[in-house]
Amino acid sequence: MEERIREIAQRYPAEKRFSLAVLQDVQREFNYIPPEALPLIKEHLGPDVREGQLYALATFYKALSLKPKGKHIIKICDGTACHMQGSTRLITAVQLALGIGPGECTPDGQFSLELVNCVGSCALAPIMIVDETYHSKVTMEGLPAILDTYRPGGERDV
Amino acid sequence: MSETRTLLVCCGTGCLANHASEVADALEAAVAAAGVDAVVGVEASDAATVKRTGCNGFCENGPIVKVHPDDISYYKVRPKHAEKIVASLGGEPVKALLYRNDEKQLVTRQLDNPFYASQRKIALRNIGEIDPLVIEDYQERGGYVVLERIIREAVPPETVIQELIDSGLRGRGGAGFPTGIKWKTAAGYARGGGADADGGQLPAFVCCNGDEGDPGAFMDRSILEGDPHGVIEGLAICAYAVGAEQGFLYIRDEYGLALKNVSAALASAEERGFIGDDILGTGRKLHLEIVRGGGAFVCGESTALMQSIEGQLGEPRAKYIRSAQRGLWDYPTVLNNVETLVNVPYILACGGAEYAKLGTARSSGTKVFSLVGKVNRTGLIEVPMGATLRHLIFDIGGGIKNDRAFKAVQTGGPSGGCIPEQYLDLEVDFDGLTEKGAMMGSGGMIVMDDHDCMVEVARYYVGFLAEESCGKCTPCREGLRHMQAILTDITEGRGQPGDIELLERLGHTLQQASLCELGKTAPNPVLSTIKYFRDEYEAHITAGVCPAGVCPELTDFYIDAEACTSCNACKKACPTGAIEGDKERAYVIDMALCISCGSCRAACRFDSVCTRGKARGKAAAGAGTSAEGKVAS
Amino acid sequence: MSETVKLVIDGKPCTCEKGDYLLEVAQRNGIRIPRMCYHEGLSGLGACRVCIVEVVEAGRSRVVTSCIYPVLSEIEVFTQNEKIKELRGMVLTLLARLAPNAEGVAKMAAKTGIELPRLAVKEGGDTCILCGRCVSACEALGSGAIAKVNRGVTKEIATPYGEPSSECIGCGSCAFVCPTDSIASERTEESFTIWGREFEMQRCSVCGMPFTTQAAFAFLQAAQAEWEPGAEQQPPLCEECGKKAVARQIANAGKYL
Repeated sequence: MEERIREIAQRYPAEKRFSLAVLQDVQREFNYIPPEALPLIKEHLGPDVREGQLYALATFYKALSLKPKGKHIIKICDGTACHMQGSTRLITAVQLALGIGPGECTPDGQFSLELVNCVGSCALAPIMIVDETYHSKVTMEGLPAILDTYRPGGERDV
Repeated sequence: MSETRTLLVCCGTGCLANHASEVADALEAAVAAAGVDAVVGVEASDAATVKRTGCNGFCENGPIVKVHPDDISYYKVRPKHAEKIVASLGGEPVKALLYRNDEKQLVTRQLDNPFYASQRKIALRNIGEIDPLVIEDYQERGGYVVLERIIREAVPPETVIQELIDSGLRGRGGAGFPTGIKWKTAAGYARGGGADADGGQLPAFVCCNGDEGDPGAFMDRSILEGDPHGVIEGLAICAYAVGAEQGFLYIRDEYGLALKNVSAALASAEERGFIGDDILGTGRKLHLEIVRGGGAFVCGESTALMQSIEGQLGEPRAKYIRSAQRGLWDYPTVLNNVETLVNVPYILACGGAEYAKLGTARSSGTKVFSLVGKVNRTGLIEVPMGATLRHLIFDIGGGIKNDRAFKAVQTGGPSGGCIPEQYLDLEVDFDGLTEKGAMMGSGGMIVMDDHDCMVEVARYYVGFLAEESCGKCTPCREGLRHMQAILTDITEGRGQPGDIELLERLGHTLQQASLCELGKTAPNPVLSTIKYFRDEYEAHITAGVCPAGVCPELTDFYIDAEACTSCNACKKACPTGAIEGDKERAYVIDMALCISCGSCRAACRFDSVCTRGKARGKAAAGAGTSAEGKVAS
Repeated sequence: MSETVKLVIDGKPCTCEKGDYLLEVAQRNGIRIPRMCYHEGLSGLGACRVCIVEVVEAGRSRVVTSCIYPVLSEIEVFTQNEKIKELRGMVLTLLARLAPNAEGVAKMAAKTGIELPRLAVKEGGDTCILCGRCVSACEALGSGAIAKVNRGVTKEIATPYGEPSSECIGCGSCAFVCPTDSIASERTEESFTIWGREFEMQRCSVCGMPFTTQAAFAFLQAAQAEWEPGAEQQPPLCEECGKKAVARQIANAGKYL
């Protein structure tokens, strides 16, 4: 892992302004920011960058997470349009189906549930994004079938 | 007759969610297959090409396929329709895929579709018409002509700036600051003509704000995806005008397609010499770089965005000295929104005075709105400033879904406000909206009907901001925490007399004492809903009733047997299995299982799921107790 | 070259240099604007908003934060009119709910006369007012042991992962600048404990008194070596003995003049 983190950091010049970009790439690779990452990133970016600052960035920006996430990340858009079209009901239904609340991960590590800000697909509200796939106009009726495809052995569980 | 035809497949994020990519593949395959036929003499489709374009704005009816030059628009196209479409080229259009207008007539041309009929596309001029990954497509429509002319003829920067000032263009990101003046100020400081003049040329920076964060607005995403060169040309012209050699495009990390298209466009623009180390052989330099946003709404605020580019926390700084004087790394910096920048090449091509003729006296040009919520036709629209809300919602949007009653329209995102029915004839421009306690913002327009609770809407926005505030200054961070707690109390039946006044008092504190615009405008959704829907707040507080039937703690649901058609929709929608019934037995809700989520009511098309105040009146019990110690986390 | 600007603060005509911060201008003229996060050694926080004042410039009025507001033109300033009293009172009330155990804050809030029992005390709120002075001090010293963690209503000050920080040198600057004595530390003859880490004390090479932590002393020496490469390393001296040493140096220098 350490080698991989070093490689990611070295994609960028050693300047403070690339702190966020490096953290984003680490997040993309591991689905979270492992504790080992901060000292390694600091080492690469140079003396202007402090561990405290990197940690602050990792907690400030929503795209970064300090906790590992599930295999499949369910993002429910809670932008205004989705909110008006029932994202709250959708969240409740997913909570009931998976037993986890926003920001949590199922004990088997299969799913994480996240609320996200507007993803700009308001005309297709409510939107649920699982991994990279957009599910538009999700209905209560259609939800269980979508979730099933991501359960162990489901067609999208790859 | 054989003619070259182009099949334009909308591949914006919305249409992609509806499998537009598969549609494009299928069309390509169908064209190739027909090509084989062409050898044996079927002429109609021998020269058809398939193009993947940006967003047409009417995502709800996607994927959209347009046929040029016949000007046919097809909606809700599926891969299975590909062969039929290709076979029809040159002949009769495929009727099943055409749009039906409000009079139920089929419309073929895009402009006959009521959604598009009264739009005037300037910022969106190329989107849906070009393949954003092909620079020649952009150039064919006049792209980079202005930049090339300015640079080759060495037009004085002052002339460029004056043209912008004459156009009256105001920043489309929200605040509406005149773009030309901003450029002029920055250019002045960069050239050493500012207050701290020492005569030397300072480095300057230009930035494009693509950190679109207003929930319910997606025009910037659409523009970045569908016309990235338009934005790049605008930014390059800006850099020329202020004397900058480096620029940044700050784009939300969640906007994957936008990032991909802009990055490809930057590479091809550099390859053609429009940007880079030696622009068009003149020795000028301009380096443009993408910075990915980290998922923080506050970074849409100009100073927070610049902090973020510098690798710091996205905490705003005071604007007593403007960024045009001291921005990125303390050098003069111009930051413009995506929609603002894409207007720039157009304005310089047609002339500032010509552009100024469009729109209203104080807000020239057009504005892109994202019309969403409870309207029949949702999507991205562009109209001249000054169009009325009624025109937008009822003519373009086709009125309220399911013929329900219009209640309010929320404009300007979390910084904006809710405008009630009595102002439907308001002419929409920067100042008109502000006067009514709302805001233009980035152009989000969320339409609400009588099933939307305005207190809940206010609680939603305050909750959003409480999470998105950077947390640096006391009024915003602490004020929002208390406003959120009080609003939660009200929607859950623990409201107290005096709460409305307290919300107003906290709101005024935020407006006056907060550090940045996020904090100063944060109370707008609360203050505007109190102003126009005070009775709804009072109903929650004093009677313990949510008049719209939304707040679960105050609302019971029941099924009106008279109106029920036994369609079973409510039962299927219920996440807890609380509804029993079938053709023989009347549908009823088991209150022991019901969580008052409202899914049944949303699913019912016959208005037979009704609401009433909670039987026991939790509210009455709660009204006397203090909410002290109870803080929503 | 500096330029002089005229201004009126609470009716009193004053002058200052263009660009001076309003709070400091007022202070020089005997007008003390209440403040919380302002510290003369750490510029530009502007976080607590207690020092807000009303500024009227060319007929246009606005509320500004005096500690970070540079005086650039002729203005009239009101530091305690009704409008400011209300706003500052609300800000102090909000701070008192955030940090119910901060005595100084409670005192200032009580003086405002604003009583809003409906505003709940923050769960777990103690003495920290989240002003960020400590983090600024840490960063200004070139370390990054503590950070502003999270954002919005969940903001807090902490070390990375809540663990003892490897970057901490135990200098205690964070606790020293804290306006509400919110950072716990424990000092004995032998050790200094702060943010979950224990540091060994450095003794003065002359009088033997412990005066800072060994880590902080080493940090300062390293910093000095970076500033003046090749300069002679100074022995550890406490403040008192340090002063004496300097005085001796000056006296010695005089001998050879």
